[in-house]
Amino acid sequence: MPPAGGFEPIKYKRNLPTRGPGAYVILGGVTAICAFGFYRLGKGNLEKRELEREKVWARIHLVPLLMAEGDRDTYRRRAAAVEREREIMKNVPGWQVGKSVYSNPKYEQTSIVVL
Amino acid sequence: MSRFQAGSLSTKSVVDLTPLPADIPKVEEVGATSAPLKSAAFFIGAYCKPYNEDFMLCKNENRDPAHCLKEGRRVTRCAQDLLTKMQQNCMEQFAAHYECLERNNQEYYLCRKPERKLNACMFEKLGLTKTIPGGGSQGQQVHELSNPIYKAMQK
Repeated sequence: MPPAGGFEPIKYKRNLPTRGPGAYVILGGVTAICAFGFYRLGKGNLEKRELEREKVWARIHLVPLLMAEGDRDTYRRRAAAVEREREIMKNVPGWQVGKSVYSNPKYEQTSIVVL
Repeated sequence: MSRFQAGSLSTKSVVDLTPLPADIPKVEEVGATSAPLKSAAFFIGAYCKPYNEDFMLCKNENRDPAHCLKEGRRVTRCAQDLLTKMQQNCMEQFAAHYECLERNNQEYYLCRKPERKLNACMFEKLGLTKTIPGGGSQGQQVHELSNPIYKAMQK
């Protein structure tokens, strides 16, 4: 015999609770985050290039100052070396003090220092 | 079997203390270390531009150190003049900036805060601005960016 009030309805519907955002939402979200990251990366690369240029120009502005100082020092030591050479070679007739061994008027850095 | 033999050449370092010949006018060397020079670099470039360019054009003519001694003295005197003016007018900001550079591997981008103060002071007192030549299509100045990507972690 059926129970009083009849049988309860048969549960045939599937029980599928919502499980977070859908595939397209996740795909779109990842794409958006990556796009923002690459945008920042590009901006950062441009900025890094500018920072490098700033550094290079700072050095360019200092080149004449440092070169002038170095030139004075080189000139001072060269003059002293020529004086020493004059003293050492004073008994050799026909010796030209400080003459380059190359027949070239272009300036050449001295590679030998006479002590 | 090997045995130590003294080389024929001396390995002692040689310091030549002979002063400059007397016919060359004397000029004091600048004597500033790298961080103050780096801090002042753009102002030296702005303030001493004619002397610097004159010197570099002279060096372009002839690389002989004897050829450009006069122009070199002018460059050095100009830099000394500027550094003295900076010390007289903006010493506090100047010192803050170069000490920041000393602490931060001499990177400009890590020292923007003291740099802005120094730039403002230099413009106010001496009328000098830091301008990086070139600067892309818009002539952008990287030291004036309000929200840079590369910056110090700690504010």
